[in-house]
Amino acid sequence: MLHYVARRLLLMIPTLFIISLLVYMIINMPPGDCVTSQIDELLARGDADALARADELRALYGLDHSVWYRYFHWLGGVFRWDFGLSCQDTVPVRDLIGERLALTVLMESCTILFIWTVSFVIGVYAATHQYKFGDYAASFIGFLGLAIPNFLLALVLLYVGKVYFGVSIGGLMDPEFIEQPISWAKVVSVAQHLVIPTIVIGTAGTAGMIRRLRANLLDELQKQYVVTGRAKGLSPMKLLIKYPLRHALNPFVADIGHLLPEVVSGSVIVSVVLSLPTMGPMLLTALKTQDVNLAATFLLFVAVLTVIGMLISDLLLAALDPRIRFGAAGEK
Amino acid sequence: MNSVVLRYPRQTLWADYIRAVTGALLCGLPLLFLDVNRWMGLVLGAACVLFLLFLARTALRQVTRYVLGPDTFAADGPTGSLVEWARLDRLALSYYSTKRDRTDGWMQLVVRSTGARAVKVDSSLESFYDIVERAAQAAEARKLELSRATRVNLRSMGITVAGQEDAE
Repeated sequence: MLHYVARRLLLMIPTLFIISLLVYMIINMPPGDCVTSQIDELLARGDADALARADELRALYGLDHSVWYRYFHWLGGVFRWDFGLSCQDTVPVRDLIGERLALTVLMESCTILFIWTVSFVIGVYAATHQYKFGDYAASFIGFLGLAIPNFLLALVLLYVGKVYFGVSIGGLMDPEFIEQPISWAKVVSVAQHLVIPTIVIGTAGTAGMIRRLRANLLDELQKQYVVTGRAKGLSPMKLLIKYPLRHALNPFVADIGHLLPEVVSGSVIVSVVLSLPTMGPMLLTALKTQDVNLAATFLLFVAVLTVIGMLISDLLLAALDPRIRFGAAGEK
Repeated sequence: MNSVVLRYPRQTLWADYIRAVTGALLCGLPLLFLDVNRWMGLVLGAACVLFLLFLARTALRQVTRYVLGPDTFAADGPTGSLVEWARLDRLALSYYSTKRDRTDGWMQLVVRSTGARAVKVDSSLESFYDIVERAAQAAEARKLELSRATRVNLRSMGITVAGQEDAE
């Protein structure tokens, strides 16, 4: 296993380097820079000195250097947890992302837990009760989840919450806790506000997972060894847990890596609709204003989360099911 | 059957040395030359330690010689052990691959006899097939219950263990 972990880790390092390079260069590709939009704004307000300030601002943000210099300067700063200056209000990126990053990680983790829990229970039920009412109901809910866009569900819940229950479900905490230090009351408030975004963002992922788990489990349940076990008088629960469920779970584990970027990118519009103080809305603004340091930092975090998710899923798969696949090239 | 002395090929060992040193340098150099953040340093430090462990394991493999005999399989080295086929109580054959489609991977065999330390060998070891075949014969004689993964992996090598052919 040490051999496997070392090789997987070694692959991660160049992967992250290449992702960071691509992300930084792609964000820099459109003509203009973040100063251009700031100057345009100042000129629109009638500021006569705006053009004169352009060079000053470019020097402040390091935009007078080549893109390669800026990239390696930013990358070097990543190790020191210093991601440079953001063009938004000229504050360090580190200060901007602090709580947002924590809240994003918390929300995405809750969403993934929700997806797993709900899809595991419903998927197993649907597979073991094939063509019964419960199976049809689960499939119907699954298709609904796949078909309804997340932002639409968010809008509906916002409307229902406000009109029928008189509560505002936007944000990730009550307004009095914003910008306040962490406290037990703040934690409770965040937990209460997490429910709706978790359900909204998790619904589509849950639907896909239910279909996959149901299909895999049905496939396993029809295999010869299950029939043999049943004929030998094994109890249905023991027969289900002993092998079929374990093997049907492999795609579940394998999906961890894909789930993270899906959830992160899927949550951007929902975060805008629900006014969530997560990374999504800020990333959107950063990309629109060509705030390279901020956007590249966010995307690097998403890349790190994805690569770590992939690593975890690969390690779990290697530990749970170290089988060769027939048709694979085989051993050395 | 006479005893056969086996070693890891030099090419495999060098590839592992290069991996270990590259990994340790990539994680260690920023720690040495940059003013690294505390948490970042912790992550890089942990990764660096892992690569150093991998380096040590590769060095151990280089100085260990494996002896496959009719009744035993021995790892003769600093952390050596002896497996008596007649007392075999564990046989696990795993397959690992770093690719998404799980091709170009390698096998790992773990064998242990009662009361002794387990011996782990990879498929890059010379005569790996012979060791696995001998271990499978011993498992069959001892009526060891093998995991499904082990049975599938054995079957992929063309080896079956009587009474345990019901794998997938």
